[in-house]
Amino acid sequence: MLAKLIFRELWHRKISFLLAMLAVAAAVAVCVALIMTEEANQRETRKVMLKMGFNLRIIPKIANINQFYLNGYSAETMPEEFLDKIASVSKISYNHLLGTLERKIELQGADALLLGISDEKAPPGRKKPPMVSTIEPATVHVGFQIARRLGLAKGDSLEILGESFQVARCMPQLGTLDDIRLMVALVDAQQLLKEPGRINEIKAMDCLCLTPDQDPRAQLQAELEKALPDGQVVMLSRIAEARARQRQVSEKHAVLITTVVGIAAAIWVAVLAVANVRQRIAEIGLLRALGYDSNSVALLVLGRALLVGLLASVAGFAAGTWWAIHYGRLSFQVTGKAIAADPVLFYWSLALAPLLAVIACLIPTALAVVQDPADALRRE
Amino acid sequence: MSRTLPTRYAVSEAIIQLDDVCKTYQSPAGAIEGLRHVSLDVQPGEFACVQGHSGSGKSTLLLTIGGMQRPSSGRVSVANQDIYQLSRRKRSNYRASHVGFVFQLFHLLPYLNVRENVQLGSHESRMSRERAQELLVRFGLGERGRQRPTTLSAGERQRVALARALMGQPVVILADEPTGNLDRENTDEVLRALSEYCQQGGTVVLVTHGEEALPYTDRRIVIDKGTLHEVKS
Repeated sequence: MLAKLIFRELWHRKISFLLAMLAVAAAVAVCVALIMTEEANQRETRKVMLKMGFNLRIIPKIANINQFYLNGYSAETMPEEFLDKIASVSKISYNHLLGTLERKIELQGADALLLGISDEKAPPGRKKPPMVSTIEPATVHVGFQIARRLGLAKGDSLEILGESFQVARCMPQLGTLDDIRLMVALVDAQQLLKEPGRINEIKAMDCLCLTPDQDPRAQLQAELEKALPDGQVVMLSRIAEARARQRQVSEKHAVLITTVVGIAAAIWVAVLAVANVRQRIAEIGLLRALGYDSNSVALLVLGRALLVGLLASVAGFAAGTWWAIHYGRLSFQVTGKAIAADPVLFYWSLALAPLLAVIACLIPTALAVVQDPADALRRE
Repeated sequence: MSRTLPTRYAVSEAIIQLDDVCKTYQSPAGAIEGLRHVSLDVQPGEFACVQGHSGSGKSTLLLTIGGMQRPSSGRVSVANQDIYQLSRRKRSNYRASHVGFVFQLFHLLPYLNVRENVQLGSHESRMSRERAQELLVRFGLGERGRQRPTTLSAGERQRVALARALMGQPVVILADEPTGNLDRENTDEVLRALSEYCQQGGTVVLVTHGEEALPYTDRRIVIDKGTLHEVKS
């Protein structure tokens, strides 16, 4: 009978129910959308144009560091297997490992940088969505200045060192060396540069969640000594620092918004629940007269809240996911397509939304339980 | 509608016993005595009418007997149980099994249909649908079970409330101005039903400010400023 009372009363007082559900659903939607777009935001900041994204550059130990800085790449190469060697080490603070081979070439009368990129690798058990898109063999991503100079557009054909490539993408202007880069699959670059099985750099990101005042360089170098004695690590501190700060600001921002929205939703639900209890004073008095005890009365209020939370979690998750996918793809040009519904996030919504609603209704429940039924019935 | 008197009660043993019961309310104006040294015995099968004007304490008396209002002092016993010695939960159980309430304003839940409102009166789910339908037929509402209370007249709603009160087969029905909103015909029907219930062994305490119930009752008590006065007929 209690279940029937809960469902029927919800349907009878639809407006109040819908308003409560809307509040919780909105909170869920905001949280879901925030989490999904935050992840997309993180990915977007590590784009295909690698220099901005990766903050670690592992080059051969024998590489001349002055020449490395002057040229922008190492003149020395190392076996491509070194990439797999690092990626096979589980306790390492590196991730998003990318093997590259880069050289300066001449392209139709001007200098350009040819960069071959491997597929991204991750240490065991730590695979994440890739930071960079895979470049298909026989295709090229063209830097802004090159595309402008040669009048290239997506789909055009471009000859590089005697081989024909299809233009898969023309990059936007970045104001860096990427504007004069041609990015191809690593195997294509190795063939063009006649360096089979060789790379001259492993790009990576550190996974150290340190505060900006901590220096991760020593830890990373020590780890590299064990995993790859023939390598040395160059850290792009400004990027690392910027990333760490951005991540921290982003996370704080997300936590703040989530908290504010959650509290606002809880307050609104509580206010509606108090109004609902007041509206049902006589009804509660009647049920007490009929022998329904305090637990039953509490169950009526909390059961209602639970149901509101459950329905709101589904609606909120759907709305938040839709928003993240729809607007995320507009906001995040490169990585937006990777935004997808997350089942884990759904389960969390299903667990936390009802909990939020129930907690919000604890005070109204107490009000309902301590209500003097005699007073309620006499008042009428 | 058949009903047998619980065999544990001797005929001479009062089913309702109030012993020097007082109830005082605190208000901004000071203490208000709702009941003053009230002692009352009601026998099984008796139809007692408690008359009093508004504010005389008649509703307080009823709710005190019903276990819904703890007295400030004194003892209230129903069916040999000191009901205010029971825990809150047991007192709820007591109400569910021993007491049926009928109110002036019916207090039917608008979001349940008529039959479901009657079923509320019993916590036994088994057979409750059949019993509720049986009671509705008894009160001439057999065809209205699926309708909402808002579609019923005042008289019909009170009959539903009466059916609900009888649903749990209580030993006592406490009726608070049950005919206050009814016309003559419906008033008579409700009072007749209560009288029949007494004839079958049940006990009724009815509070009212009028005299319409007097032809049906066995006993007339007047309450004035919280004090009872028995009126010999």
